[in-house]
Amino acid sequence: MNLLKDTWYITLRDLRARIRMPVFIFMTLFQPILWLVLFTQIFKSLGGMLGPGGSSYLQFFAPGVLVMTVLFGSAFSGFGMLWDIDTGVLSKMLATPVTRISVIAGRVIATVVVLLIQALIIIILALIMGVHFKTGAPGVLFTFFLLSLLGLGFAAFSNGLALLLKRQETVMAVTNLLTMPLMFLSSLMMPAALLPGWLNTVRQINPIDYAVVGARDLISNGYIWHDLWLSLIVLAALAVVGVAFGTLMFRTRAE
Amino acid sequence: MAIIETHQLAKIFPGDIRAVDGIDFEVNSGEIFAFLGPNGAGKTTTIKMLNTLILPTSGTAMVAGLDVVKNAAEVRKRIGYTAQDVGVDEHATGKENLTLYGHFYRLDGKIIKERVKEIFDLVGLTGSENRMVSTYSGGMRKRLDLAMGLIHQPEVIFLDEPTTGLDPQTRASIWEYIRELVKSKGMTIFLTTHYMEEADRLANRIAIIDLGKIIAMGTADELKKSIGGDVVTVTPCEDKDEACKEFIRRSEAVLTGKPFVTGTKPTDGELAVYVNDGASAIPNIMQLLSGQGIEVKTITMSRPSLDDVFLKYTGRTIRTEEGSRTTFAKLVRMRDRRQR
Repeated sequence: MNLLKDTWYITLRDLRARIRMPVFIFMTLFQPILWLVLFTQIFKSLGGMLGPGGSSYLQFFAPGVLVMTVLFGSAFSGFGMLWDIDTGVLSKMLATPVTRISVIAGRVIATVVVLLIQALIIIILALIMGVHFKTGAPGVLFTFFLLSLLGLGFAAFSNGLALLLKRQETVMAVTNLLTMPLMFLSSLMMPAALLPGWLNTVRQINPIDYAVVGARDLISNGYIWHDLWLSLIVLAALAVVGVAFGTLMFRTRAE
Repeated sequence: MAIIETHQLAKIFPGDIRAVDGIDFEVNSGEIFAFLGPNGAGKTTTIKMLNTLILPTSGTAMVAGLDVVKNAAEVRKRIGYTAQDVGVDEHATGKENLTLYGHFYRLDGKIIKERVKEIFDLVGLTGSENRMVSTYSGGMRKRLDLAMGLIHQPEVIFLDEPTTGLDPQTRASIWEYIRELVKSKGMTIFLTTHYMEEADRLANRIAIIDLGKIIAMGTADELKKSIGGDVVTVTPCEDKDEACKEFIRRSEAVLTGKPFVTGTKPTDGELAVYVNDGASAIPNIMQLLSGQGIEVKTITMSRPSLDDVFLKYTGRTIRTEEGSRTTFAKLVRMRDRRQR
Protein backbone atom coordinates (compact mmCIF):
# COMPACT_ATOMS: atom_id res chain seq x y z
CA MET A 1 0.00 0.00 0.00
CA ASN A 2 2.77 2.40 0.95
CA LEU A 3 4.56 1.31 -2.21
CA LEU A 4 1.64 2.44 -4.36
CA LYS A 5 1.12 5.68 -2.45
CA ASP A 6 4.78 6.66 -2.54
CA THR A 7 5.03 5.80 -6.23
CA TRP A 8 1.96 7.94 -6.89
CA TYR A 9 3.38 10.94 -5.00
CA ILE A 10 6.72 10.72 -6.77
CA THR A 11 5.11 10.28 -10.19
CA LEU A 12 3.00 13.33 -9.44
CA ARG A 13 6.01 15.35 -8.31
CA ASP A 14 7.82 14.53 -11.54
CA LEU A 15 4.85 15.32 -13.79
CA ARG A 16 4.12 18.56 -11.95
CA ALA A 17 7.73 19.70 -12.36
CA ARG A 18 7.58 19.01 -16.12
CA ILE A 19 4.25 20.75 -16.62
CA ARG A 20 5.70 23.90 -15.05
CA MET A 21 8.47 24.15 -17.62
CA PRO A 22 7.08 25.99 -20.65
CA VAL A 23 10.05 24.88 -22.74
CA PHE A 24 9.28 21.30 -21.84
CA ILE A 25 5.64 21.56 -22.92
CA PHE A 26 6.67 23.26 -26.14
CA MET A 27 9.25 20.60 -26.92
CA THR A 28 6.87 17.80 -26.01
CA LEU A 29 4.35 19.09 -28.54
CA PHE A 30 6.74 20.42 -31.13
CA GLN A 31 9.22 17.58 -31.40
CA PRO A 32 6.81 14.92 -32.73
CA ILE A 33 5.31 17.45 -35.15
CA LEU A 34 8.77 18.37 -36.38
CA TRP A 35 9.82 14.79 -36.91
CA LEU A 36 6.64 13.75 -38.60
CA VAL A 37 6.58 16.69 -40.99
CA LEU A 38 10.32 17.03 -41.58
CA PHE A 39 11.16 13.39 -42.18
CA THR A 40 8.22 12.72 -44.42
CA GLN A 41 9.29 15.69 -46.54
CA ILE A 42 12.94 14.58 -46.69
CA PHE A 43 12.10 11.02 -47.69
CA LYS A 44 9.03 11.85 -49.76
CA SER A 45 10.43 10.43 -52.99
CA LEU A 46 11.04 7.10 -51.27
CA GLY A 47 7.28 6.55 -51.32
CA GLY A 48 7.45 5.12 -54.82
CA MET A 49 10.08 2.56 -53.80
CA LEU A 50 7.99 1.06 -51.06
CA GLY A 51 6.78 -1.64 -53.37
CA PRO A 52 3.40 -2.61 -54.64
CA GLY A 53 0.43 -1.00 -52.98
CA GLY A 54 2.04 2.38 -53.54
CA SER A 55 1.70 3.46 -49.93
CA SER A 56 3.19 6.83 -49.04
CA TYR A 57 6.32 7.39 -46.97
CA LEU A 58 4.15 9.08 -44.38
CA GLN A 59 2.10 5.92 -43.95
CA PHE A 60 5.35 3.97 -43.69
CA PHE A 61 7.12 6.37 -41.35
CA ALA A 62 4.34 7.32 -38.88
CA PRO A 63 4.85 4.17 -36.73
CA GLY A 64 8.60 4.89 -36.85
CA VAL A 65 8.06 8.39 -35.39
CA LEU A 66 6.12 6.83 -32.53
CA VAL A 67 8.96 4.43 -31.71
CA MET A 68 11.60 7.11 -32.18
CA THR A 69 9.82 9.48 -29.80
CA VAL A 70 9.49 6.81 -27.13
CA LEU A 71 13.08 5.63 -27.58
CA PHE A 72 14.64 9.08 -27.18
CA GLY A 73 12.24 10.23 -24.48
CA SER A 74 12.85 7.20 -22.30
CA ALA A 75 16.58 6.88 -22.94
CA PHE A 76 17.10 10.36 -21.46
CA SER A 77 14.85 9.75 -18.43
CA GLY A 78 17.89 9.21 -16.19
CA PHE A 79 18.91 12.87 -16.37
CA GLY A 80 16.20 13.73 -13.87
CA MET A 81 17.70 11.17 -11.52
CA LEU A 82 21.16 12.70 -12.05
CA TRP A 83 19.78 16.09 -11.10
CA ASP A 84 18.31 14.62 -7.90
CA ILE A 85 21.65 12.99 -7.08
CA ASP A 86 23.62 16.19 -7.70
CA THR A 87 21.29 18.46 -5.74
CA GLY A 88 21.05 16.12 -2.74
CA VAL A 89 17.31 15.56 -3.24
CA LEU A 90 17.79 11.81 -3.59
CA SER A 91 19.80 11.24 -0.41
CA LYS A 92 17.45 13.45 1.57
CA MET A 93 14.50 11.35 0.37
CA LEU A 94 16.26 8.11 1.19
CA ALA A 95 16.72 9.20 4.80
CA THR A 96 12.90 9.14 5.14
CA PRO A 97 10.80 5.95 5.43
CA VAL A 98 9.78 6.29 1.75
CA THR A 99 9.44 2.93 0.01
CA ARG A 100 12.84 2.68 -1.64
CA ILE A 101 11.77 1.41 -5.01
CA SER A 102 9.06 4.07 -5.43
CA VAL A 103 11.77 6.67 -5.92
CA ILE A 104 12.85 5.11 -9.21
CA ALA A 105 9.44 3.66 -10.13
CA GLY A 106 7.75 7.08 -9.87
CA ARG A 107 10.26 8.63 -12.28
CA VAL A 108 9.94 5.81 -14.78
CA ILE A 109 6.14 5.91 -14.72
CA ALA A 110 6.10 9.69 -15.16
CA THR A 111 8.37 9.30 -18.19
CA VAL A 112 6.07 6.70 -19.75
CA VAL A 113 2.98 8.85 -19.11
CA VAL A 114 4.54 11.82 -20.89
CA LEU A 115 5.64 9.64 -23.79
CA LEU A 116 2.14 8.23 -24.23
CA ILE A 117 0.78 11.77 -24.37
CA GLN A 118 3.32 12.55 -27.07
CA ALA A 119 2.32 9.36 -28.89
CA LEU A 120 -1.30 10.45 -28.80
CA ILE A 121 -0.36 13.81 -30.32
CA ILE A 122 1.53 12.07 -33.10
CA ILE A 123 -1.42 9.78 -33.85
CA ILE A 124 -3.86 12.67 -34.01
CA LEU A 125 -1.50 14.59 -36.27
CA ALA A 126 -0.96 11.53 -38.45
CA LEU A 127 -4.73 11.12 -38.79
CA ILE A 128 -5.01 14.73 -39.90
CA MET A 129 -2.18 14.26 -42.40
CA GLY A 130 -4.00 11.29 -43.90
CA VAL A 131 -2.49 8.19 -42.34
CA HIS A 132 -4.88 5.28 -42.47
CA PHE A 133 -5.08 3.27 -39.22
CA LYS A 134 -5.87 -0.19 -40.45
CA THR A 135 -6.76 -1.78 -37.10
CA GLY A 136 -8.59 1.28 -35.77
CA ALA A 137 -8.86 2.25 -32.10
CA PRO A 138 -8.14 -1.25 -30.67
CA GLY A 139 -4.96 -1.35 -32.74
CA VAL A 140 -3.93 2.08 -31.44
CA LEU A 141 -4.39 0.82 -27.87
CA PHE A 142 -2.32 -2.25 -28.71
CA THR A 143 0.36 0.06 -30.15
CA PHE A 144 0.29 2.10 -26.94
CA PHE A 145 0.84 -1.07 -24.97
CA LEU A 146 3.90 -1.99 -27.05
CA LEU A 147 5.24 1.56 -26.71
CA SER A 148 4.70 1.46 -22.92
CA LEU A 149 6.82 -1.70 -22.67
CA LEU A 150 9.53 -0.06 -24.77
CA GLY A 151 9.42 3.14 -22.70
CA LEU A 152 9.39 1.25 -19.42
CA GLY A 153 12.45 -0.78 -20.38
CA PHE A 154 14.54 2.15 -21.61
CA ALA A 155 13.46 4.59 -18.88
CA ALA A 156 14.34 2.11 -16.13
CA PHE A 157 17.60 1.31 -17.90
CA SER A 158 18.44 5.00 -18.23
CA ASN A 159 17.78 5.64 -14.53
CA GLY A 160 19.95 2.64 -13.71
CA LEU A 161 22.67 4.07 -15.94
CA ALA A 162 22.45 7.42 -14.14
CA LEU A 163 22.88 5.68 -10.78
CA LEU A 164 25.76 3.60 -12.10
CA LEU A 165 27.76 6.39 -13.76
CA LYS A 166 26.58 9.43 -11.76
CA ARG A 167 28.08 11.91 -14.24
CA GLN A 168 26.19 13.92 -16.85
CA GLU A 169 28.95 13.64 -19.44
CA THR A 170 29.32 9.88 -19.29
CA VAL A 171 25.59 9.20 -19.15
CA MET A 172 25.15 11.46 -22.17
CA ALA A 173 27.92 9.72 -24.11
CA VAL A 174 26.65 6.22 -23.37
CA THR A 175 23.05 7.19 -24.15
CA ASN A 176 24.00 8.65 -27.52
CA LEU A 177 26.17 5.68 -28.32
CA LEU A 178 23.24 3.35 -27.67
CA THR A 179 20.26 5.21 -29.12
CA MET A 180 21.67 6.27 -32.48
CA PRO A 181 22.69 2.78 -33.70
CA LEU A 182 19.52 1.30 -32.23
CA MET A 183 17.49 3.66 -34.36
CA PHE A 184 19.45 3.24 -37.59
CA LEU A 185 20.05 -0.51 -37.32
CA SER A 186 16.35 -1.15 -37.78
CA SER A 187 13.63 -0.74 -40.34
CA LEU A 188 12.50 2.46 -38.62
CA MET A 189 13.42 4.78 -41.50
CA MET A 190 14.02 2.39 -44.35
CA PRO A 191 11.91 -0.59 -45.39
CA ALA A 192 13.55 -3.91 -44.60
CA ALA A 193 13.52 -4.83 -48.28
CA LEU A 194 15.77 -1.85 -49.08
CA LEU A 195 18.28 -2.54 -46.28
CA PRO A 196 21.58 -4.25 -47.09
CA GLY A 197 21.71 -7.94 -46.15
CA TRP A 198 23.97 -7.59 -43.09
CA LEU A 199 21.76 -4.88 -41.66
CA ASN A 200 18.73 -7.05 -42.14
CA THR A 201 20.47 -9.69 -40.02
CA VAL A 202 21.57 -7.22 -37.35
CA ARG A 203 18.11 -5.69 -36.97
CA GLN A 204 16.79 -9.06 -35.84
CA ILE A 205 18.64 -8.69 -32.53
CA ASN A 206 17.58 -5.05 -32.13
CA PRO A 207 14.57 -4.64 -29.79
CA ILE A 208 13.72 -1.33 -31.51
CA ASP A 209 13.02 -3.20 -34.72
CA TYR A 210 10.45 -5.36 -32.94
CA ALA A 211 8.69 -2.23 -31.73
CA VAL A 212 8.78 -0.77 -35.25
CA VAL A 213 7.49 -3.96 -36.89
CA GLY A 214 4.72 -4.31 -34.29
CA ALA A 215 3.56 -0.72 -34.57
CA ARG A 216 3.77 -0.76 -38.37
CA ASP A 217 1.72 -3.95 -38.60
CA LEU A 218 -0.98 -2.52 -36.37
CA ILE A 219 -1.13 0.79 -38.17
CA SER A 220 -0.59 -0.15 -41.81
CA ASN A 221 -0.80 -3.91 -42.30
CA GLY A 222 -3.31 -5.34 -39.83
CA TYR A 223 -3.09 -8.06 -37.17
CA ILE A 224 -0.15 -10.15 -38.32
CA TRP A 225 0.00 -12.30 -35.21
CA HIS A 226 3.30 -13.95 -35.98
CA ASP A 227 4.99 -10.51 -35.85
CA LEU A 228 2.90 -9.18 -32.99
CA TRP A 229 3.60 -12.09 -30.65
CA LEU A 230 7.30 -11.71 -31.30
CA SER A 231 7.10 -7.95 -30.63
CA LEU A 232 5.19 -8.54 -27.41
CA ILE A 233 7.66 -11.13 -26.15
CA VAL A 234 10.78 -9.16 -27.08
CA LEU A 235 9.48 -5.86 -25.67
CA ALA A 236 8.21 -7.50 -22.49
CA ALA A 237 11.64 -9.09 -22.06
CA LEU A 238 13.24 -5.68 -22.68
CA ALA A 239 11.00 -4.13 -20.01
CA VAL A 240 11.88 -6.88 -17.52
CA VAL A 241 15.61 -6.54 -18.18
CA GLY A 242 15.47 -2.72 -17.99
CA VAL A 243 13.49 -2.71 -14.76
CA ALA A 244 15.74 -5.39 -13.26
CA PHE A 245 18.84 -3.36 -14.14
CA GLY A 246 17.33 -0.13 -12.82
CA THR A 247 16.24 -1.82 -9.60
CA LEU A 248 19.60 -3.46 -9.07
CA MET A 249 21.45 -0.19 -9.61
CA PHE A 250 19.07 1.60 -7.27
CA ARG A 251 19.58 -1.00 -4.56
CA THR A 252 23.35 -1.01 -4.86
CA ARG A 253 24.25 2.49 -5.99
CA ALA A 254 21.72 4.85 -4.39
CA GLU A 255 22.99 6.21 -1.15
CA MET B 1 19.30 8.95 28.76
CA ALA B 2 21.35 8.26 25.67
CA ILE B 3 19.38 8.66 22.46
CA ILE B 4 22.38 8.05 20.20
CA GLU B 5 25.00 5.53 21.18
CA THR B 6 27.88 4.19 19.10
CA HIS B 7 30.38 1.48 19.80
CA GLN B 8 33.58 1.24 17.75
CA LEU B 9 31.65 2.59 14.76
CA ALA B 10 33.79 2.53 11.61
CA LYS B 11 33.47 3.10 7.87
CA ILE B 12 36.30 2.03 5.60
CA PHE B 13 35.94 2.91 1.92
CA PRO B 14 37.67 0.90 -0.82
CA GLY B 15 41.38 1.63 -0.87
CA ASP B 16 41.57 1.35 2.93
CA ILE B 17 40.31 4.90 3.38
CA ARG B 18 39.35 4.98 7.05
CA ALA B 19 36.75 7.75 6.91
CA VAL B 20 35.51 6.87 10.40
CA ASP B 21 37.94 4.84 12.43
CA GLY B 22 36.21 3.28 15.43
CA ILE B 23 34.39 5.95 17.40
CA ASP B 24 32.45 5.72 20.68
CA PHE B 25 30.12 8.42 21.90
CA GLU B 26 26.74 9.01 23.46
CA VAL B 27 24.28 11.82 22.87
CA ASN B 28 21.75 12.50 25.58
CA SER B 29 18.10 13.13 24.92
CA GLY B 30 17.32 16.82 24.51
CA GLU B 31 20.85 18.06 24.00
CA ILE B 32 22.62 19.74 21.11
CA PHE B 33 25.67 17.68 20.32
CA ALA B 34 28.25 18.91 17.82
CA PHE B 35 30.89 17.09 15.82
CA LEU B 36 33.60 19.67 15.23
CA GLY B 37 36.40 19.02 12.80
CA PRO B 38 37.97 20.04 9.50
CA ASN B 39 36.67 18.86 6.14
CA GLY B 40 37.39 15.21 5.54
CA ALA B 41 37.47 14.42 9.25
CA GLY B 42 34.64 11.88 8.96
CA LYS B 43 31.73 14.03 10.10
CA THR B 44 29.43 13.46 7.13
CA THR B 45 30.26 9.76 6.99
CA THR B 46 29.27 9.44 10.65
CA ILE B 47 25.95 11.20 10.03
CA LYS B 48 25.22 9.00 7.03
CA MET B 49 25.77 5.88 9.09
CA LEU B 50 23.51 7.18 11.85
CA ASN B 51 20.71 8.14 9.44
CA THR B 52 20.91 4.78 7.58
CA LEU B 53 22.15 6.19 4.26
CA ILE B 54 25.32 4.11 4.36
CA LEU B 55 26.19 0.90 6.17
CA PRO B 56 28.96 0.83 8.76
CA THR B 57 31.94 -1.40 7.97
CA SER B 58 32.10 -2.45 11.61
CA GLY B 59 30.87 -1.46 15.04
CA THR B 60 27.35 -0.61 16.11
CA ALA B 61 25.17 2.46 16.40
CA MET B 62 21.83 2.84 18.15
CA VAL B 63 19.49 5.74 17.44
CA ALA B 64 16.36 6.17 19.58
CA GLY B 65 17.03 2.73 21.02
CA LEU B 66 17.16 1.04 17.59
CA ASP B 67 20.07 -0.47 15.71
CA VAL B 68 20.73 1.55 12.53
CA VAL B 69 21.49 -1.56 10.49
CA LYS B 70 18.96 -4.07 11.77
CA ASN B 71 16.12 -1.60 12.28
CA ALA B 72 16.93 0.93 9.56
CA ALA B 73 13.27 1.36 8.52
CA GLU B 74 12.19 2.12 12.09
CA VAL B 75 15.10 4.50 12.65
CA ARG B 76 14.09 6.52 9.56
CA LYS B 77 10.65 7.21 11.08
CA ARG B 78 12.21 8.73 14.17
CA ILE B 79 14.84 11.01 12.64
CA GLY B 80 15.03 14.13 10.54
CA TYR B 81 17.97 14.84 8.25
CA THR B 82 19.31 18.00 6.71
CA ALA B 83 22.28 17.38 4.48
CA GLN B 84 25.05 19.74 3.56
CA ASP B 85 23.58 20.09 0.08
CA VAL B 86 20.17 21.69 0.27
CA GLY B 87 18.02 18.77 -0.86
CA VAL B 88 14.90 20.71 -1.76
CA ASP B 89 13.04 20.38 -5.03
CA GLU B 90 13.41 23.62 -6.99
CA HIS B 91 10.57 22.82 -9.35
CA ALA B 92 7.97 22.72 -6.61
CA THR B 93 6.60 25.20 -4.09
CA GLY B 94 7.72 25.22 -0.48
CA LYS B 95 4.42 23.76 0.58
CA GLU B 96 4.60 20.97 -1.99
CA ASN B 97 8.08 20.05 -0.80
CA LEU B 98 6.93 19.86 2.78
CA THR B 99 3.68 18.02 1.98
CA LEU B 100 5.59 15.37 0.01
CA TYR B 101 7.70 14.68 3.08
CA GLY B 102 4.57 14.52 5.21
CA HIS B 103 3.38 11.70 2.95
CA PHE B 104 6.75 9.97 3.12
CA TYR B 105 6.45 10.00 6.91
CA ARG B 106 2.98 8.42 6.62
CA LEU B 107 1.18 11.35 8.17
CA ASP B 108 -2.54 11.84 7.74
CA GLY B 109 -3.55 14.50 5.19
CA LYS B 110 -5.22 16.64 7.85
CA ILE B 111 -2.22 16.48 10.17
CA ILE B 112 0.08 17.39 7.28
CA LYS B 113 -1.95 20.55 6.65
CA GLU B 114 -1.74 21.61 10.29
CA ARG B 115 1.95 20.85 10.61
CA VAL B 116 2.86 22.58 7.35
CA LYS B 117 1.32 25.78 8.69
CA GLU B 118 2.96 25.39 12.08
CA ILE B 119 6.41 24.59 10.67
CA PHE B 120 6.42 27.40 8.11
CA ASP B 121 5.72 29.67 11.03
CA LEU B 122 8.49 28.13 13.10
CA VAL B 123 11.15 28.58 10.41
CA GLY B 124 9.88 32.01 9.44
CA LEU B 125 8.69 31.18 5.93
CA THR B 126 5.01 32.02 6.40
CA GLY B 127 3.85 33.90 3.31
CA SER B 128 6.23 32.06 0.98
CA GLU B 129 4.52 28.66 1.09
CA ASN B 130 3.14 28.84 -2.41
CA ARG B 131 6.16 30.33 -4.12
CA MET B 132 8.38 28.13 -6.25
CA VAL B 133 11.54 27.16 -4.42
CA SER B 134 13.57 28.36 -7.42
CA THR B 135 12.66 31.90 -6.32
CA TYR B 136 13.86 31.33 -2.72
CA SER B 137 17.13 32.82 -1.44
CA GLY B 138 19.88 30.54 -0.11
CA GLY B 139 18.82 31.17 3.46
CA MET B 140 15.16 30.45 2.71
CA ARG B 141 16.08 27.17 1.02
CA LYS B 142 18.11 26.14 4.03
CA ARG B 143 15.18 26.92 6.31
CA LEU B 144 12.82 24.92 4.11
CA ASP B 145 15.39 22.13 4.10
CA LEU B 146 15.35 22.19 7.91
CA ALA B 147 11.55 22.28 7.94
CA MET B 148 11.31 19.15 5.78
CA GLY B 149 13.10 17.17 8.47
CA LEU B 150 10.69 18.39 11.15
CA ILE B 151 7.24 17.58 9.83
CA HIS B 152 6.99 14.23 11.61
CA GLN B 153 8.28 15.70 14.89
CA PRO B 154 11.31 13.41 15.02
CA GLU B 155 13.12 12.49 18.20
CA VAL B 156 16.52 13.22 16.70
CA ILE B 157 17.54 15.68 13.99
CA PHE B 158 20.79 15.31 12.08
CA LEU B 159 22.17 18.53 10.67
CA ASP B 160 25.21 18.20 8.43
CA GLU B 161 27.01 21.56 8.36
CA PRO B 162 23.75 23.50 8.75
CA THR B 163 25.23 26.94 8.11
CA THR B 164 28.09 26.33 5.68
CA GLY B 165 28.00 28.88 2.90
CA LEU B 166 25.46 31.13 4.60
CA ASP B 167 26.05 34.75 5.51
CA PRO B 168 26.52 35.62 9.22
CA GLN B 169 23.00 36.99 9.60
CA THR B 170 21.32 33.92 8.17
CA ARG B 171 23.64 31.77 10.23
CA ALA B 172 22.52 33.51 13.41
CA SER B 173 18.87 33.03 12.50
CA ILE B 174 19.41 29.31 11.78
CA TRP B 175 21.01 29.00 15.23
CA GLU B 176 17.94 30.65 16.69
CA TYR B 177 15.66 28.09 15.01
CA ILE B 178 17.78 25.22 16.24
CA ARG B 179 17.69 26.47 19.82
CA GLU B 180 13.96 27.01 19.54
CA LEU B 181 13.43 23.41 18.37
CA VAL B 182 15.22 22.00 21.36
CA LYS B 183 13.42 24.30 23.73
CA SER B 184 9.88 24.00 22.43
CA LYS B 185 9.87 20.47 21.01
CA GLY B 186 12.43 18.75 23.19
CA MET B 187 14.19 17.40 20.14
CA THR B 188 17.75 16.15 20.21
CA ILE B 189 20.13 17.71 17.70
CA PHE B 190 23.23 16.09 16.31
CA LEU B 191 25.13 18.52 14.13
CA THR B 192 28.45 18.66 12.38
CA THR B 193 30.40 21.81 11.72
CA HIS B 194 33.83 23.11 10.96
CA TYR B 195 32.99 26.48 12.47
CA MET B 196 34.37 26.69 16.00
CA GLU B 197 32.02 29.50 16.83
CA GLU B 198 29.03 27.38 15.84
CA ALA B 199 30.04 24.51 18.12
CA ASP B 200 31.01 26.90 20.88
CA ARG B 201 27.79 28.91 20.92
CA LEU B 202 25.23 26.30 19.97
CA ALA B 203 26.25 22.94 21.38
CA ASN B 204 25.84 21.58 24.88
CA ARG B 205 28.60 19.11 24.22
CA ILE B 206 31.23 18.84 21.51
CA ALA B 207 33.26 15.98 20.11
CA ILE B 208 36.34 17.06 18.20
CA ILE B 209 36.97 14.69 15.32
CA ASP B 210 40.02 14.44 13.09
CA LEU B 211 41.04 11.77 10.58
CA GLY B 212 38.12 9.56 11.60
CA LYS B 213 38.83 9.55 15.31
CA ILE B 214 37.36 11.47 18.22
CA ILE B 215 40.27 13.27 19.82
CA ALA B 216 38.45 15.14 22.60
CA MET B 217 34.92 15.36 23.94
CA GLY B 218 33.11 17.50 26.49
CA THR B 219 31.42 20.85 26.97
CA ALA B 220 33.11 23.83 25.35
CA ASP B 221 34.33 24.94 28.78
CA GLU B 222 35.69 21.54 29.69
CA LEU B 223 37.58 21.35 26.43
CA LYS B 224 39.08 24.81 26.85
CA LYS B 225 40.04 24.13 30.46
CA SER B 226 41.77 20.93 29.37
CA ILE B 227 44.52 23.00 27.77
CA GLY B 228 45.24 25.26 30.74
CA GLY B 229 44.61 28.92 31.56
CA ASP B 230 45.73 31.18 28.71
CA VAL B 231 47.24 30.96 25.28
CA VAL B 232 50.18 33.22 24.50
CA THR B 233 50.92 33.45 20.80
CA VAL B 234 54.46 34.43 19.92
CA THR B 235 55.50 35.59 16.46
CA PRO B 236 59.30 35.64 16.26
CA CYS B 237 59.59 36.53 12.58
CA GLU B 238 57.91 38.41 9.75
CA ASP B 239 58.43 36.13 6.76
CA LYS B 240 57.25 32.55 6.85
CA ASP B 241 60.50 31.08 5.56
CA GLU B 242 63.01 28.46 6.68
CA ALA B 243 64.74 30.91 9.01
CA CYS B 244 61.40 31.54 10.65
CA LYS B 245 60.82 27.84 11.22
CA GLU B 246 64.22 27.70 12.89
CA PHE B 247 63.31 30.62 15.17
CA ILE B 248 60.07 28.89 16.14
CA ARG B 249 61.86 25.61 16.76
CA ARG B 250 64.42 27.36 18.97
CA SER B 251 61.72 29.32 20.82
CA GLU B 252 59.88 26.10 21.52
CA ALA B 253 63.06 24.47 22.82
CA VAL B 254 63.68 27.39 25.16
CA LEU B 255 60.17 27.43 26.62
CA THR B 256 59.44 23.70 26.85
CA GLY B 257 59.72 22.38 30.36
CA LYS B 258 59.62 25.79 32.06
CA PRO B 259 57.43 25.56 35.19
CA PHE B 260 54.88 28.19 34.03
CA VAL B 261 54.42 26.58 30.59
CA THR B 262 51.89 23.76 30.30
CA GLY B 263 52.47 23.10 26.60
CA THR B 264 53.55 24.48 23.24
CA LYS B 265 52.42 24.05 19.64
CA PRO B 266 54.21 25.51 16.62
CA THR B 267 52.16 26.52 13.58
CA ASP B 268 52.87 28.40 10.41
CA GLY B 269 54.87 31.44 11.52
CA GLU B 270 53.65 31.33 15.12
CA LEU B 271 54.20 29.50 18.37
CA ALA B 272 51.28 28.86 20.73
CA VAL B 273 52.35 28.69 24.37
CA TYR B 274 49.86 27.33 26.89
CA VAL B 275 50.29 28.87 30.31
CA ASN B 276 48.36 29.04 33.58
CA ASP B 277 48.46 32.82 33.86
CA GLY B 278 49.13 34.85 30.73
CA ALA B 279 49.77 38.21 32.39
CA SER B 280 52.70 36.96 34.41
CA ALA B 281 53.98 34.66 31.71
CA ILE B 282 54.47 37.28 28.99
CA PRO B 283 57.43 39.09 30.63
CA ASN B 284 59.02 35.71 31.37
CA ILE B 285 58.63 34.56 27.80
CA MET B 286 60.03 37.84 26.41
CA GLN B 287 63.02 37.61 28.72
CA LEU B 288 63.77 33.96 27.98
CA LEU B 289 63.56 34.48 24.23
CA SER B 290 65.62 37.67 24.08
CA GLY B 291 68.20 35.90 26.24
CA GLN B 292 68.57 33.48 23.33
CA GLY B 293 68.78 36.29 20.80
CA ILE B 294 65.28 35.67 19.46
CA GLU B 295 63.52 38.89 18.64
CA VAL B 296 59.78 38.72 19.28
CA LYS B 297 57.83 40.68 16.67
CA THR B 298 54.41 40.36 18.26
CA ILE B 299 53.08 38.62 21.32
CA THR B 300 49.39 38.23 22.12
CA MET B 301 47.41 36.63 24.88
CA SER B 302 43.95 35.08 24.60
CA ARG B 303 41.57 32.80 26.38
CA PRO B 304 41.76 29.39 24.75
CA SER B 305 39.34 28.83 21.90
CA LEU B 306 38.18 25.53 20.49
CA ASP B 307 40.71 26.14 17.76
CA ASP B 308 43.44 26.04 20.40
CA VAL B 309 41.95 22.79 21.63
CA PHE B 310 42.06 21.40 18.12
CA LEU B 311 45.59 22.70 17.67
CA LYS B 312 46.76 21.12 20.88
CA TYR B 313 45.43 17.68 19.98
CA THR B 314 46.29 17.66 16.27
CA GLY B 315 49.08 20.19 15.77
CA ARG B 316 46.98 21.92 13.12
CA THR B 317 44.37 24.64 13.25
CA ILE B 318 40.86 24.25 11.93
CA ARG B 319 41.13 27.78 10.60
CA THR B 320 43.87 26.93 8.12
CA GLU B 321 41.72 24.09 6.85
CA GLU B 322 39.21 26.60 5.57
CA GLY B 323 39.64 28.80 2.53
CA SER B 324 41.21 27.20 -0.49
CA ARG B 325 41.25 23.75 1.02
CA THR B 326 37.53 23.88 1.65
CA THR B 327 37.04 24.32 -2.06
CA PHE B 328 39.35 21.45 -2.82
CA ALA B 329 37.70 19.20 -0.25
CA LYS B 330 34.34 20.03 -1.77
CA LEU B 331 35.56 19.09 -5.22
CA VAL B 332 36.89 15.79 -3.91
CA ARG B 333 33.59 15.15 -2.18
CA MET B 334 31.60 15.86 -5.32
CA ARG B 335 33.83 13.57 -7.33
CA ASP B 336 33.60 10.80 -4.72
CA ARG B 337 29.85 11.07 -4.58
CA ARG B 338 29.57 10.71 -8.30
CA GLN B 339 31.96 7.81 -8.57
CA ARG B 340 30.49 5.82 -5.72
